[in-house]
Amino acid sequence: MNSSGTKFALGVYTGLFLVFLYAPMVVLGILSFQTGPEGGPQFPIIEWSTYWYQHLFGFTPPSRIAPLPINEALFRSLALSVMTMIVSTVLGVSSAQAFRRKFKGSGVAFYLIVLGMMVPGVLVGLGMALVANVLGIDRHWWGTAFVLHVVYTYPFAFLVMLAILNRFDPSVEEAAWSLGVSPIKTFRKITFPLIFPGVLSAMLFAFTLSYDEFSRTLFASGRDLTLPLAIYGTFSVEVHPNVFAFGVLTTIFSFALLGVYAALMTLSIRRAKRIAIQEEA
Amino acid sequence: MTIIAETTSTAPPAIAAKKASDKTLWLLLPGVLWMLLFLVVPMLMMVYVSFWTQTTFKISPILTVQSWVTFFTSETYLSALWTTVRIWLIVLVATLLVGYPAALYVGLFVRNKTVQTALLVLCVIPFWTSFLIRVLAWRPMLGKEGAINLILQALGVIDTPIEVLLFSELSVIIGMTQIYCVFMVGPIAFMMGRIDQSVIEAAQDMGAGFWRIFRTIILPLTMPGVVVGAIFVSVMVLGEFATAAALSGRKVNLLGNIIVTQVGSLKWAFAAVVGVVLTILMGIVVAALLRIVDLRKAL
Repeated sequence: MNSSGTKFALGVYTGLFLVFLYAPMVVLGILSFQTGPEGGPQFPIIEWSTYWYQHLFGFTPPSRIAPLPINEALFRSLALSVMTMIVSTVLGVSSAQAFRRKFKGSGVAFYLIVLGMMVPGVLVGLGMALVANVLGIDRHWWGTAFVLHVVYTYPFAFLVMLAILNRFDPSVEEAAWSLGVSPIKTFRKITFPLIFPGVLSAMLFAFTLSYDEFSRTLFASGRDLTLPLAIYGTFSVEVHPNVFAFGVLTTIFSFALLGVYAALMTLSIRRAKRIAIQEEA
Repeated sequence: MTIIAETTSTAPPAIAAKKASDKTLWLLLPGVLWMLLFLVVPMLMMVYVSFWTQTTFKISPILTVQSWVTFFTSETYLSALWTTVRIWLIVLVATLLVGYPAALYVGLFVRNKTVQTALLVLCVIPFWTSFLIRVLAWRPMLGKEGAINLILQALGVIDTPIEVLLFSELSVIIGMTQIYCVFMVGPIAFMMGRIDQSVIEAAQDMGAGFWRIFRTIILPLTMPGVVVGAIFVSVMVLGEFATAAALSGRKVNLLGNIIVTQVGSLKWAFAAVVGVVLTILMGIVVAALLRIVDLRKAL
């Protein structure tokens, strides 16, 4: 399409759109360097300092501002995300495998799975809390909250794997079977390496969604806080720039995670190419 | 191994088919069971508990419609229902208006694949920050001494700071629009990318102007993207409570906020009623959106 006037106007608009997306984060990043402990979470910057970063790690002298309860919350969130990632990826891969064959009731099963990502977190959280109440089960982040995290992330893993398997050439597998390779070995040696990039994406999806999830966790996790719940707790009290400093750090952590994902992805694609070349030779 | 392979290949088709459907069953069963136990059962429990008898701090399994009557006769609940619908509609339209031109640019005007991917990645990057912190980030933007007011005052556009920006319905709408507009941009940009360029070129050759091409070709062909985006945004906005809690200063109460408050004061039956109402509302919205476009055909 080449109507240059429209193109220029839309280009400028997209630039403004990106400013709209990023401005709050930039402001938050700047204010995280506010002086402490008397500097507030608003402009102007009284004096630039790394006080709030030190405050997060407990390196500052005690003040009236309570530290964010992130130590154990961080551990719980990471453990919960890893558990969720493993279970939802396994479920996602196996049910996407099932969907490669046509079967009766596939429509119902499809919508049942996809429903997990459609129902708002508050609702499933409330439902699970009610079930736990009625059955007299204690609510814990590793129990009631964990199963809900899987309910949420498993549909994403499933859809990613479905998209990958749709583009998958089944004749490779059939060739292996007809050569007498057992189905399990075929899956391990042929199918799995070929779908591995998809599996990585599913894992990344599940991990990040679970790591950031709080509306399900709020009702289902009982007394112990996860990281998002610790941040949610600051909503009701006065906000200090330590939350902003924490936001900057979690963003950096997310980028590190994305870097690991990109590296693994590159490696697996390179390996796939190498195997292809060896086979040609 | 060869023996197994041979028996499989020589087995009658009926047995082979049964084996295959057995395999499908075992692959599917864990996931389906998980969803039934941890998604369907809790939702049904919510419906059931909404009919329980609520006393001050306890609920008892004596069935009554009292909580439902309370919901539909209470000013607070009904106004929360109305606020939820209103904010959902405004945010839906706002994300569409804000997101569509950006998707149009990225999906149709940027022909270089690398630049296109880079722009889309740029849109997704903010999602690597915790949702709650992205919500909080709007406070120093919108406040009386916030960035927007400071910039506008420095430019001489306004003399006194605009106070309505923070702790109002407007701040909730601004915050939600920014947080959710990417879910609109993504699906629309995806559908833009699938438009056959030669169709547009043909229209141009026939002398059609941009607006005519937009109205008769681009808009209809991207409708499935709009619907997918609308479903994403609707589902998320309807279940929202955090943005309202952080940015409205308790002035805006959505159904989600009511649920949180009721659970906080152990009014489980009331919370369940609000939950069921919200579920029905969401069901109607999603069903209506799916009527516009048949998703399975479109994707």
